[in-house]
Amino acid sequence: MKTENTALYILRLALTLFIIAAVVAAALAGVNSITKPVIDQLNAEKTQKAIEAVLPGGFDEELANFDNQGGLVSKVYKGANGYALEVLPSGFDNTITMMVGVDTEGKVLGISIVSHTETAGLGAVAAAQTSAGEAFRGQFVGQSGSVGVTKDGGTLDAITGATITSRAICVGVNAALACVAGLG
Amino acid sequence: MNFKKQFKDGLLDKNPVFVQLLGMCSTLAITTSLFNGIGMGLAVTIITICSNVLISALRKVIPNQIRIAAYITIIAGFVTVVDLLLKAYIPALSESLGVFIPLIVVNCMVLGRAEAFASKNGVLASAVDGLCQGIGYTVALVIVCVVREFLGSGTFGGGLLNGGEGIRILPEGVPAMQMVMPVGGFLAMGCILAGFQYMTRKMENARKDKEAAK
Repeated sequence: MKTENTALYILRLALTLFIIAAVVAAALAGVNSITKPVIDQLNAEKTQKAIEAVLPGGFDEELANFDNQGGLVSKVYKGANGYALEVLPSGFDNTITMMVGVDTEGKVLGISIVSHTETAGLGAVAAAQTSAGEAFRGQFVGQSGSVGVTKDGGTLDAITGATITSRAICVGVNAALACVAGLG
Repeated sequence: MNFKKQFKDGLLDKNPVFVQLLGMCSTLAITTSLFNGIGMGLAVTIITICSNVLISALRKVIPNQIRIAAYITIIAGFVTVVDLLLKAYIPALSESLGVFIPLIVVNCMVLGRAEAFASKNGVLASAVDGLCQGIGYTVALVIVCVVREFLGSGTFGGGLLNGGEGIRILPEGVPAMQMVMPVGGFLAMGCILAGFQYMTRKMENARKDKEAAK
């Protein structure tokens, strides 16, 4: 095997790498089969919690027909007190998955962020269970029509150092409000 | 190879962050709270130990020409396993570190140890090397975290103590927000690096003086 550059040697290189990759892939498949149900369940619980956080009383049914506002609104849950909408605005890094509760009069009941990949310490404040995060999310309660951050002529204070994340959340809330308005 | 020397190498003489300047991307990006620093440090430590052990065990089987590709495949495998496990069992940490967990694949510290140490040494020594380098990395991250969190948010132990808010040291409004932003990462890192170099030089000189006096 010392003679390099022979066909046999090249074959050995390819085979070694192939075996390593195959073993790693098999190991990953094994781990994934264990963690996937746990992760799925966590996500389902999170969605459930997010709905309950923004829509007092929970929901009765998931609506199938709604205006998705150019793909921003992905799910609409209807409850006795209004609607909970899952919206997917684009944040600083990637899509933010958030839940917006809107009452039957078109006012925001509350927002909660299900998942995001915003910058830790900056955009992530929007989702954090801290006083700053709660203050930011609390601003949306009771808003109707259309919302925006002060930089864009709106009334809401953006998170310091995270204007793009704050704007994205406004986009999401606006889409939710417009969607509910369309539902009548 | 003795354990004491390896430990001192990892922590001081060859500290992956302060001396080798490896893994800078994660060091600058996630060091905004103590929780992040400890979590990232532990994740990298576990991955470095695992990849070091496996690469060391396979070092005679992997041909020289394809070693980097083989190492990266092995490292990526371990990183993905850790990523999945964190998502399933410690979702808070997974959310807080976000994309920087999968990015451990390209943390040069892990590949650096594979290339510089595990590919030339036995399994046990490589495991110890992974542990010591990992501890050095974790300690460095924690130091940067504590400094940046104090100056940027005015707290200690963010995400970990006091229900996630951290213990407030400076009143609100005093801390400079810039310190938790990327620019603050560079500033803090530069000052800490200078301080670390000053300290190690001084220790080195003191040791030399002592020897000369003998």
